[in-house]
Amino acid sequence: MTVLALVGAAVLAAGGLLPALGARWRAGLAVQAAGICMLGATGLAVLLGGRPIGAGFHSSIALGFGIDRLSGFFLALLAVTSVPTLVFARDYLTGVGSAGAARGLAALTGAFLLSLVGVLAARDVVGFLAFWELMTLIPAAAILLTGRDREVRGAVYAYLAITHLGGAGVWVALLTLAREGGIGHPAAMVAAGGGAQTAVAIAALVGFGTKAGLVPLHSWLPRAHPVAPAHLSALMSGLMIKIALYGLIRVELEWLGARPLWLGIALLALGLASALGGVLWALTQHELKRLLAYHSIENVGIIVLGLGASLLLARAGHGLWAQIAFAAALLHIANHAIFKALLFLGAGSFQRAVGRLELDHLGGLLRRMPWTGGAFLLGSMAIAGLPPLNGFASEWLTLQSLLHVSLFGPLGVALPGAVALAGLAATAALALLCFVKVVGLVLLGRPRRPECAMAVERPAGMRFAVVSLAGLCVALGVLPGLVVPTLAGLAPGVHGHPAGDASALAIPGTGGLRTVGLAVALIVLTALLTRARGHRRLAPAVAPTWACGQDVVPELEWTSSGFTKPLRLVLEGLLRPHRELEVVERGGMTQLIRYSSHTPSLVDRVLYEPAVRFGLRGAAFARRLQSGNVRTYAGYLLALMIVMIALAAAGALG
Amino acid sequence: MSSSALIAVAAQLGGVALAPLLPGLVQTAKARLQGRRGPSPLQPYRTLRRLWSKSSVAPAGTGAVYRVAPPLIAACMLIALALVPIAGRGPDLGVGHDALVLVGMLALARFAAAAAAWDTGNGFALMGAARDAMIAVFGEALLVLALLVAALPARSTDLRSMAAAAAGGHVWGQAAHWCGAIAFLLVVLVETGRQPIDNPDTHLELTMIHEGPLLEYAGRDLAYLQWAAAARHWVMLVLGAQLFLPHPAGFAGALAALVVAGLAQCLGLAVIETAQAKMRVLRVPALLGLGCAVALAGVATAIAGLAA
Repeated sequence: MTVLALVGAAVLAAGGLLPALGARWRAGLAVQAAGICMLGATGLAVLLGGRPIGAGFHSSIALGFGIDRLSGFFLALLAVTSVPTLVFARDYLTGVGSAGAARGLAALTGAFLLSLVGVLAARDVVGFLAFWELMTLIPAAAILLTGRDREVRGAVYAYLAITHLGGAGVWVALLTLAREGGIGHPAAMVAAGGGAQTAVAIAALVGFGTKAGLVPLHSWLPRAHPVAPAHLSALMSGLMIKIALYGLIRVELEWLGARPLWLGIALLALGLASALGGVLWALTQHELKRLLAYHSIENVGIIVLGLGASLLLARAGHGLWAQIAFAAALLHIANHAIFKALLFLGAGSFQRAVGRLELDHLGGLLRRMPWTGGAFLLGSMAIAGLPPLNGFASEWLTLQSLLHVSLFGPLGVALPGAVALAGLAATAALALLCFVKVVGLVLLGRPRRPECAMAVERPAGMRFAVVSLAGLCVALGVLPGLVVPTLAGLAPGVHGHPAGDASALAIPGTGGLRTVGLAVALIVLTALLTRARGHRRLAPAVAPTWACGQDVVPELEWTSSGFTKPLRLVLEGLLRPHRELEVVERGGMTQLIRYSSHTPSLVDRVLYEPAVRFGLRGAAFARRLQSGNVRTYAGYLLALMIVMIALAAAGALG
Repeated sequence: MSSSALIAVAAQLGGVALAPLLPGLVQTAKARLQGRRGPSPLQPYRTLRRLWSKSSVAPAGTGAVYRVAPPLIAACMLIALALVPIAGRGPDLGVGHDALVLVGMLALARFAAAAAAWDTGNGFALMGAARDAMIAVFGEALLVLALLVAALPARSTDLRSMAAAAAGGHVWGQAAHWCGAIAFLLVVLVETGRQPIDNPDTHLELTMIHEGPLLEYAGRDLAYLQWAAAARHWVMLVLGAQLFLPHPAGFAGALAALVVAGLAQCLGLAVIETAQAKMRVLRVPALLGLGCAVALAGVATAIAGLAA
């Protein structure tokens, strides 16, 4: 096993080096896929076999690498998601501009994957932090390779600034843990006492929360993800933010040595804010990739809700339900990695086919691109949490976990649990609203632009990638029972094993989720009803769409903002949209009406803009100290001397 | 298999046939309350028969999503019927009896209807779908909270044990049960598309919510969709009767209580429809938010009661 992992890492590194050294970058991507397959196989074997390989976690500065079951799960997920992505990239990168850019991107993709593997396999602080920073920096370089206009540079700057400022929390948390000897040893943190535990918990929440895109630290995510090339967006949204959750699980749930009540409630609150905030801002987006990026925030919120429920249930002594909630979070991590990669790759395919991705200027792509469009439809249904797809399985588990947090009480925990439960249900309904809009505007109806009417299906590699990921959405939706018991066994600090049944999630205290039964019933009944309708015998007559008797002209088409208007009106107090109406009149006649609206992010205005203003004002003030006049500097020195002498005279310097 | 289980199977399958009776009963009762003679309660059956013999129409430019939506929505509602037990008994039809799975099936039906509306590009259909989806944001939160209140005494989300836990008279001494009943009443109004949330009798496209996405359909497709709307009545009223209305613990008594409660709820809906005008669509969320607050109060009292 160890040999396979080492060979896999070497092959992956070689796959990254090949394009960098000027060899053919397509071959390099294939080599990377082979390497990541080996690493994924190792991870899977460790996950199922249960024996960790390599070094164990330690607090010294000696480099150490190893894989335990949790790392194994993430490695397997990394392989499952990145192999289709690499296959996609082989066809996608041909159109990226210059051959040099394609080579550079291929090399950086390999390096990025290697850094993700490094974070997962690191068993000491130095290795973890080194790979962590690489994981942050490499996408920035890759984004700048593809575009350097003002908007892109701004996005990259915001990404680096926010993740590094927030990421300081990761350093503080891990270095504190290492000083107390607590890396991998919760007992050491118990000995270190409550103060250190609280400090570590808060620092990790800030650090990993920033990288995972938790509201209110999410602001970089919807800027950086859309400007990256499609396959990197898929890896960033699908995997990179999951690695931050990996860190969050390690520190908060495994190594902290305590399960404070405030941490559980804080996780619920942050999860709920992210879930609702992410989906609400997503609703107001007009560009497909930005919308998808906001949905990553929503899904991270759902995952964190599961983690919070797990912590609260474990704290209350409900071991089985703590495991189920943990399994819900891990299953949603896997599901989101799969369908978000699918959606970003699909968006990349559409972009290649029709150019810009403004939602109001697409349409009718299901007919023009049946494979990509069909897979995108399945992915949209999965992310909207519809049965029988994988998103429903994990959302069902998360809802059940929150419901049981509420059932078990006490009151101070039950009420937050109930609020989170209602919030998650509303989130699911909002995601449905958002994705039915996306499906409608992108795939259905009439083409709204000549390019859309002429779109052609993408090459085999890009098709294969999205279709295989869609297949995974179906497979995990129908057979979650195969993985949930294993995932539940990964819950830290809880022992025992929930019963496993491949065809259903039979969990005591619920009516059970009969996934296979539901899927079969849905397909069989729909087929029977379609037959009973006699589709072939009575071919439908074609008639124009009803618009009160007038012809349906493009001006009558519904837009993205039209569909979400009722909701925006209801939530006006929360979203605070800006509207501009401009009426041009000439000679008593209205010549032109221009209407535009956009919804600024509330967090940006309340949190980031004042912070930036404060920082700039501070800098302006500090600059005044630096006058450049040598007499002023001499005055500073004199003042310092006098203060020091005064302090020494007063005995304050010891 | 005991005789009561057989009856339960029969009742569950009977729901497929009996569902259209419920909206028919509501319409008849409403007409009588308004001093009209009104249609017979069997009118929905006649409508379905008429639609079944008509040919289908597809708007120009629609595709597979438009064609598959009606059978898929009907299939979702068939599964929903199988999920809901009758008089606390639920035969194993392969889909289980979980309350939250029911929420998922309703969501899938909503998605299919809205996606079909997008495929037609019909502005009225999309207006209805957008409003339906907006109301569902609050309706789904309320539904889940109402189910939570009903799950509290049962300690489970299995609809059979939830129905059993709500049997007898003692639950009526708990404030939580009353709160849950109020919240669920709002859920019933939302899901069945009745006034004051939606007006099922409207012929004005601009006011349609649930009817909007049905505008383009005809023939057997429309028959499926109308049956699905009736099945929504069945699911919601049967759930309401078993979770929040008085019924004894035994099977025969519970079945009798279910029939009475079903008729009473139809009458109640007719009374509400007669007394209430449709409210502004943008006011609906406030009403449902109030329902959520009531349900949360129910959860709080129930948990406090358990602790005491």
